[in-house]
Amino acid sequence: MFTVWGSKQHFCDGMTRRNFLQIGAFGAGLTLADMLRLRASAAARGETTRTKSAIMIYLPGGPSHMDMYDLKPNAPAEFRGEFRPINTNVTGVQICEHFPLQARMWDKFACVRSIVSVDEHSDSLVMTGYSQRANMTANHPSFGSVVSRMRGANSDVPSFVSLRGLSRGTEPGFLGISHRPFSPSGPGLQNLRPLSMVDAGRQHQRRQMMGAFDGIRRELDTNGSIGGLDSFTTRAFDMIASGGVRHALDNGREPNTIRERYRGVEQFLTALRLVEAGVGCVTLSIGGWDTHGQNFQTLRRQLPQVDKGVSNLVADLHARGLANDVAVVMWGEFGRTPRVNNNAGRDHWAPVMSAMVAGGGMRMGQAIGASTARGERPHDRRYTASQLLSTLYRSIDIDPSQTVLDSTGRPRHLLEDREVVRELL
Amino acid sequence: MTTSIRWLIVLVLLAGARDLAAADEPTRTPKGEIALPAPAEVQSLDVQPKTIDLIGADDSRQVVLTGVLSAGKLQDLTGHVQYKIADSTIAKITNSGRVIPLANGATTITAGYGDNRVTIPVKVEKFDVSLPINFANHIVPIFTKLGCNSGGCHGKSGGQNGFALSLLGFVPELDYQSLVHESRGRRLLPSSPDHSLLLLKASGGMAHAGGKRMEAGSDEYKLIRRWIAAGLPVGESDDPNISKISIFPEHRIISRKNRQQFAVYAHYSDGSVVDVTQRAQYESNDPDVAIVDGSGLVRTLDMSGEAAIMARYQGQVTVFRATVPLGVKIPEYQFTERNFVDKHTHAHWKQLGIVPSDLASDELFIRRVSVDITGTLPSPARVKAFLADTDPQKRDKLIDALLETPEYSYYFANRWADVLRVKRGNQQGRAFGTFAFHSWIREAIAQDRPYDEFARDILAALGDETKNPATVWYKDLRDPQQFVDDTAQLFLGVRMACAQCHHHPYEKWSQDDYWGLAAFFGRVGRKNIPVPGVQNNQQNQRVVIFAKPNGTVQNKRTNKAAIMRPLDGDEVKVDPGDDPRHRLVDWMVDAKNPFFARAVVNRYWAHFMSRGIVDPPDDMRATNPPSNPALLDALAADLIKNKFSLKETIRSICRSRTYQLSSMPNEFNKQDKRSFARYYPRRMAAEVLFDAVSQVTDSPATFPGLPRDRHAPNRAIMLPDESFQSYFLDVFGRPQRISACECERVSEANLAQALHLLNSDEIQNKLSRAGGRAEKLAKDPRPDAQKVEELFLWSFARQPTAEQMTLALRNIEHHAKNKRLAYENIIWALINTKEFIMVQ
Repeated sequence: MFTVWGSKQHFCDGMTRRNFLQIGAFGAGLTLADMLRLRASAAARGETTRTKSAIMIYLPGGPSHMDMYDLKPNAPAEFRGEFRPINTNVTGVQICEHFPLQARMWDKFACVRSIVSVDEHSDSLVMTGYSQRANMTANHPSFGSVVSRMRGANSDVPSFVSLRGLSRGTEPGFLGISHRPFSPSGPGLQNLRPLSMVDAGRQHQRRQMMGAFDGIRRELDTNGSIGGLDSFTTRAFDMIASGGVRHALDNGREPNTIRERYRGVEQFLTALRLVEAGVGCVTLSIGGWDTHGQNFQTLRRQLPQVDKGVSNLVADLHARGLANDVAVVMWGEFGRTPRVNNNAGRDHWAPVMSAMVAGGGMRMGQAIGASTARGERPHDRRYTASQLLSTLYRSIDIDPSQTVLDSTGRPRHLLEDREVVRELL
Repeated sequence: MTTSIRWLIVLVLLAGARDLAAADEPTRTPKGEIALPAPAEVQSLDVQPKTIDLIGADDSRQVVLTGVLSAGKLQDLTGHVQYKIADSTIAKITNSGRVIPLANGATTITAGYGDNRVTIPVKVEKFDVSLPINFANHIVPIFTKLGCNSGGCHGKSGGQNGFALSLLGFVPELDYQSLVHESRGRRLLPSSPDHSLLLLKASGGMAHAGGKRMEAGSDEYKLIRRWIAAGLPVGESDDPNISKISIFPEHRIISRKNRQQFAVYAHYSDGSVVDVTQRAQYESNDPDVAIVDGSGLVRTLDMSGEAAIMARYQGQVTVFRATVPLGVKIPEYQFTERNFVDKHTHAHWKQLGIVPSDLASDELFIRRVSVDITGTLPSPARVKAFLADTDPQKRDKLIDALLETPEYSYYFANRWADVLRVKRGNQQGRAFGTFAFHSWIREAIAQDRPYDEFARDILAALGDETKNPATVWYKDLRDPQQFVDDTAQLFLGVRMACAQCHHHPYEKWSQDDYWGLAAFFGRVGRKNIPVPGVQNNQQNQRVVIFAKPNGTVQNKRTNKAAIMRPLDGDEVKVDPGDDPRHRLVDWMVDAKNPFFARAVVNRYWAHFMSRGIVDPPDDMRATNPPSNPALLDALAADLIKNKFSLKETIRSICRSRTYQLSSMPNEFNKQDKRSFARYYPRRMAAEVLFDAVSQVTDSPATFPGLPRDRHAPNRAIMLPDESFQSYFLDVFGRPQRISACECERVSEANLAQALHLLNSDEIQNKLSRAGGRAEKLAKDPRPDAQKVEELFLWSFARQPTAEQMTLALRNIEHHAKNKRLAYENIIWALINTKEFIMVQ
């Protein structure tokens, strides 16, 4: 099905993994049932509180835990690497010297340093809670697809947006293709803007004739499914006219001062605008972490970019009053070998990795868990990727123990392994 | 026509009564109460069981008392009479008809309604004897009934808060282990049973996250208490096993807002039968029609229809079926039965007391049948010719003609390719195989290859894709488990996947049944043979499927070689060197096989009627019964009689008046959703809609990766596999072919579809294409009215109304200088109507 390929990502095994540019259609997840619910809740509007959302930042390739959030200055030189830790504004927590912006505001961040992973170049584990291998048959849904399923579309914006195309980790699995993320490219995006070839006058004539030509009898509609089509039509026209999603995707609507802060990491600003507009889950990525060689050289270039992106994002979430409503997580598929190899690189290391979290009403200003002295495996507070996802679900008010039916009709918990990272809640 | 006139009369007579149902209800009955027959209407009473022998203090019996009315009508009276017991020291009977022992001895129970009386002899034995308890037979079912071992609680893998039970009690040995031996034995205290953690938590005496599940002192409590006090017996090795459960009655016609008590019996291997009405679990498949409580009392509600109440006990299942007629006076109507299909649907409607819709008009019929058989809109010329034809056989002739078109074979090949997983999955190297398999399927359909042979060719395929394209099925499926899941769902209409790891929760299928099927695939061999001259790259290797002389599949439960056994069948022995798959197919295609023919006719029925007789169509099980069993049987028998010709099945369905009914409901069938008393409208499938848009706009599609010559497929229904990118097809729910499930195809409407049809470049480009329909019509010298008419015939297979014509002509006039714009507008308006995207 996927004949068009997205941006390339080169990994160590010589295989090129490209993001599938599949269909990420906005509105594909808005079913008739949602539509009816929306109508019902429209009456009660005003009382509803803001629904919570999540931003999932994925660092493909496997970022080096020992050079970011889990430095080991006392380890032998061949382990500790070239970077030094710096103090943060939270006593006792140190992070990498190339993360100065986060260090200054660590009271708004937390990290977990004791997560075990699997050795797979895939976003499957950190986005679905299950490894790619398990998902080859089990087809567990992505975090964002679950949000889409649980929330439906709550306004004129999609509930799940992927700013990084589509991959295994953004797939809806057994929830079905209507819960794929909206990928703002191709027809899915273009269909949201008014057609240039058809002016308002013609559009009006068209709609008038459409209503008059339709010979389907109202009486056929014994279960509301035919009338539902009309609601979609009305809604589609409204959306094209109002431009809600297009506007959210348009960073140009932000003041210059703000855009300047995000120069080079614009997708963080887009993510911010999307959650502000009511998107339930946004995922984005920054590539290039498979540092088998020249690890430090690469990271000197990349870490400041990441630092700029997440610190601005989190600062603006606070500034806009969204810090308790939006959970942020940043991680990759695994950690990297504690011992630096002969090419000044680090190789795959699944026994332990780190994750950064922020917002979502979680407890910030801490570093949770620890790896062993040389950063080789969890020393205490061993957690799994699934458990951190479980924590994130809870932080946005989704109960990970609830069940949904898979394609064989079997009830499945959102996550089987769903103990939470207690320090965060 | 006569029918509708008669309705009109009735409607006029009943004018003012908004709800016919309410109008017909006897006025003497206050709202909410059951309309019981007058005593004089009851001709006799029937009671089940006729005699009651209670053994031990834990035994009980559910009485089912039925009043026999005139014309064989039956009314449940179980909870509506006063029972009298001659000796109230021997036994007691509750108002709901449950007989409970009190002491050894004999007595009688009498019940009366009007002048009718029945007497039931009751005998109680061994009341004072503490009968031996078998853990699996007596204790485990309590956990199931109370929900302790459900998948959301202690039954999930790993258990709940450290206490794990087997899912729904399918592995009693494990349950015994965790209750008696785990957690240092503190869950049970034989020395002081009431202080056992199990009883304290379940009865609310101690904090329990699952809440209070039973009352201290209830029957369940007492039985568990007695088991603990008796020293936690497992039971004897020669204690009987359950062999089946039965239900009384199995089927009843019940009026709306009525009640029916049933009784459930467990049959054991030693021939004993135990009343388990209080211990089994119940679930209704249609809670709008009927609901059930934990003691087997069914309540029908305001809706008419059919409901199946599943009863489940210790891995055995059975069903009580309730037919709930509308129960209002219906007008006389005409329904000419055209074939056996009509005979069975008509009988069903009579039972339900509903009136079928009228015959669909010729306009609706030609559009419906063309889309359903060929996935293609009829051309205006064809529509006109059909409407003008006065031959009374013209509908049959049209069906026959459509079945001989290439579009028929393409369309059905497309549907079969979905469930046969004809997919490339991003591997270009697989295109040879998928193209070959698709064209093999299409030829089989065009030639009407007998379905039994079609299935055998796939299931027992040998060779490689260049010689035998059916082996491509084995490219996507690799493990015996996948063969079982797909074979069962696709060819037998049974979903077995649950039984791979545990007993099927809603069915009788056990893991041994599952692995019994898997064993037939134990000798499938596969070998990759490099293609000469091509680099040794996996994608270009050729997979050869061969039969190994020996080979087994390991049964996951026993960890031993699984015994070959078809569903509900006996063990099959296959000589070394033979291919067991042929033995499996032999069993499948046998005329007596209860699954194979039914599964495919039901699949085809669902294709044409929007819904299966069993629905979902590939989920046939005792607890999901057919809405019309006689119809399903008759269709299956018809297929077998016609030597598995699927074209004949299509003829039988499409020629029936049932298929040809209008989708316009009447007062009497508007709530009908599964008896086919009208045609249920549905949205066109993704590929069909895509092609329809291309047809009406006269903008044939091109697909990437295919040659652009005149032989290239320019229709979505012609695409051989899933790899042709199309936003349109994906948004409208084209399946990715990742499973054998029909459910992968999404037919639900959504906002993205509306956005695409209303406002996409793709559609606008089709409308304004140079040489497309709008431009051609703009240049066409014929009068505009004639051209507008042609567009309506294309889109709806009907003429425009006068108003619609006026509106269209006005738009053409408005754009008189550039008529192409007007024609684009008109076509846009037509394809965005509900009438266009729906088949009705």
